[in-house]
Amino acid sequence: MEQLFEIFLHPEYLNLIYFCIIGILASAIISFLPALHIYNVIGIFMLFVLNFQNSMESMELVSLCIGMIVGYSMLNTVPATYFGPGDESMSYYILPSADWVNKGRGYEGVILTGIGSLTGIIALALLAPLFVHILPTLKAITSPHMFWIIGAVIVYSIMSEWPKGLSQSPDCWTNFKEGWYYLGIGLLLFFASGLLGFIVMSKTLVKPQFAFQSITPVFVGLFAMPWLITNIINIGKIPHQHEAESVEMDWNLIARGTFGGFLGGFFAAFVPIVTAGVGGLMAGHATAQRDGRLFVMSYGTCKTVYYVGSFLLFFIPGLNLARGGLACIINPVSMTFGYKEYFIFVGLMLFAAGISFLLLMPFTKLCIKIIETIPFQWVSIIALCIIIPAVIYYTGEGGAFILLVSTGLGLVPVLFQARRMNLMGVLLLPVCLNMAGYGYYIVKFLGLL
Amino acid sequence: MKGFTHFISGMAVASFFEQAVHMASQESSFILCLGGLFGILPDTLDFKLAKYFYKSDFEIKPDPNKLDAREIANGIAQAVNKAIKTGKGSVQLHTMQLASNRWRSYQLRFDTKRSEICVDIGPEVDTGQIPFDGTELTDPEKAHARVKVNCEFYQQFDKVSNIAIMTGPCFEFEKRKDGKMEIVFLPWHRQWSHSFTLGMLVAFIVGIITYFTVPEGANTGYAAGYYWLPRWSLYPLIILFGSMVHIIEDSTGFMGNNLFYPFTKKRTNGLGFMSASEGIPNFLFVWTAVICIIFNLDRLRWNPTGTIEASIANPLSFWFWFYIVPVAIMIFFFIKGKREKEIKAKENGTSEKTVDFDGPQAVESETDASII
Repeated sequence: MEQLFEIFLHPEYLNLIYFCIIGILASAIISFLPALHIYNVIGIFMLFVLNFQNSMESMELVSLCIGMIVGYSMLNTVPATYFGPGDESMSYYILPSADWVNKGRGYEGVILTGIGSLTGIIALALLAPLFVHILPTLKAITSPHMFWIIGAVIVYSIMSEWPKGLSQSPDCWTNFKEGWYYLGIGLLLFFASGLLGFIVMSKTLVKPQFAFQSITPVFVGLFAMPWLITNIINIGKIPHQHEAESVEMDWNLIARGTFGGFLGGFFAAFVPIVTAGVGGLMAGHATAQRDGRLFVMSYGTCKTVYYVGSFLLFFIPGLNLARGGLACIINPVSMTFGYKEYFIFVGLMLFAAGISFLLLMPFTKLCIKIIETIPFQWVSIIALCIIIPAVIYYTGEGGAFILLVSTGLGLVPVLFQARRMNLMGVLLLPVCLNMAGYGYYIVKFLGLL
Repeated sequence: MKGFTHFISGMAVASFFEQAVHMASQESSFILCLGGLFGILPDTLDFKLAKYFYKSDFEIKPDPNKLDAREIANGIAQAVNKAIKTGKGSVQLHTMQLASNRWRSYQLRFDTKRSEICVDIGPEVDTGQIPFDGTELTDPEKAHARVKVNCEFYQQFDKVSNIAIMTGPCFEFEKRKDGKMEIVFLPWHRQWSHSFTLGMLVAFIVGIITYFTVPEGANTGYAAGYYWLPRWSLYPLIILFGSMVHIIEDSTGFMGNNLFYPFTKKRTNGLGFMSASEGIPNFLFVWTAVICIIFNLDRLRWNPTGTIEASIANPLSFWFWFYIVPVAIMIFFFIKGKREKEIKAKENGTSEKTVDFDGPQAVESETDASII
């Protein structure tokens, strides 16, 4: 313990705190760009930061990333709630939170999610010493089986979508068709997204120097653009948002929310390609969650554990599991990490979580002010004006074409009430089949080789 | 039980087949997912197929512009009266959608003591079943109704059905030998789809197909030890045990299954240990499945040279820390929760049994970002 304090309080490590704070502030700015994903922005940000590589130590870069990912995982709740989500993980959260916004309780929803994020980080920190012993074993056991675990996620995602519709016709077949109409759209969407994933992964149309961002136009198109378009054409008005002084929670609810959210987030962090949305859905079903507050709070835990946990896995001595975009981005510039660096990571993670949580309240109030002064539609129009040129600038005409196609696909759930999670077929299907060794045959069959 | 519980339990059962684990790790086979697929299949058959083809004798489609609880109660009484005369009667209750995210709710209860059908018109609610303030009916004559029927009700549980969103529930009334009228909730659910006979039939058909289509493969050397069962037989066995585990798990709840359809005609009552939607029992099954899968994957690891040591060095310690301790904690909280509920129920003078089937509303009101 004494040693631990010595490390944290030693002036030598103050620079890490400094970089961590810069990361949090950068994440606050990134978070404010509606519907953009951290990994898209961080990739471009890293290109800029790497110019200073010689004057920056590896651990300083890591601190910067910790600040960014922790800050983003907590602060992105605000624009996602009010303007639209940047990825599938956030889309999952949006329905109940949008509902809270419509009731003027958006602020409360954000704070509940923030509490969930904070408890998620605390749970990660408490379990950090255990991870060192457990996770290398778990990795050794599951590694040869990862493809079918992702396959099981796909099967469950598809099977767990239940028919919608009212079934009020006297004719059985009409009711059957009505119910299966939505299921059929969902299935089609999943496989169409999967096909898009195969095309993008095997023959990217993006400029070679930005090949690491080849998935950006896909994600922007599938998740961000539909939300912004929906916001623009939505004639509804956001009601006055009440800034609550307290939130209705008890320790039982906090414990249950953290537990369920942690399970989902950890599963998503550990298993490649699985996102917090998918993990959250499965954990929610596994723990039979029902309460609306529980869902919102546990979602905060889930997404934070997913974003931060997947980065943490990379630093666990003996594991070094590169999950999530951030770990892959910093992989080439990182050094070998030992126990000391790992626990510094945990300390910085806690520090960043505390600062980000404190920023959450003023950040939300600022956001509320914006939506109450600027017409809601204009925020989305401005966001579109930033996103589309940015994607075209970085990914060229090829990227613009991918953006167009994926936006079309992304609008299908909005228009046909299908589950948005089906869009994750874009990653789940190709990655699962590639891991199993069947990807080559499919790509060959599609004439992409 | 929740669909996820059945799904992962099916996969856990499949992981006990050492050949299947070998096929997964060495031959890129998705065979373990087959257990999950057939684990969840009985509910899929019910909610995606059977519910559409069950024809009720009566349908109640309340008019949201002319709300009248008595009219609804009378409609249900018609089905009861038919059952009094003919032995059976059924009724399908429909929901009232007012806008894309607005529904009018109503509640139905059968008063066993007074032989009355009780209907209450509730407030307007959103798809998340959150009520809109001030939307309750002001006229008590129209909002509440009790209709007496000429029979004594038999119901295992005193359950209030809240009919609000998506598809409404269906009830069947069946005259018992003792003259009482049994109320069967969702009569199309857990019938033929939740029978051992269907599992055996599907396994038999798949067995015939795989017998002629699945080659034995390279079962020589180290792998030969694994294949004490012919490879073709793995598929029907996993299907059979996957669907069986679903039925066994469901039997622990309140609503049972029709175990040997068509030889048995009625759905039996469950053991009533737990409610289908309770968090801890669901998680107990999920956790058991997860631990079994991890243990089996390690135990049955590919080890042709015999030099790869088990990742779980001490199985006893593994089971103690990762299973016994968490299960003990779960049981503690489960019993504590039950006691608290009992105390609350006594204070309120209500039934202490919380009954919650995996009815249409439980599966359809899932939190899904794209539902609106």
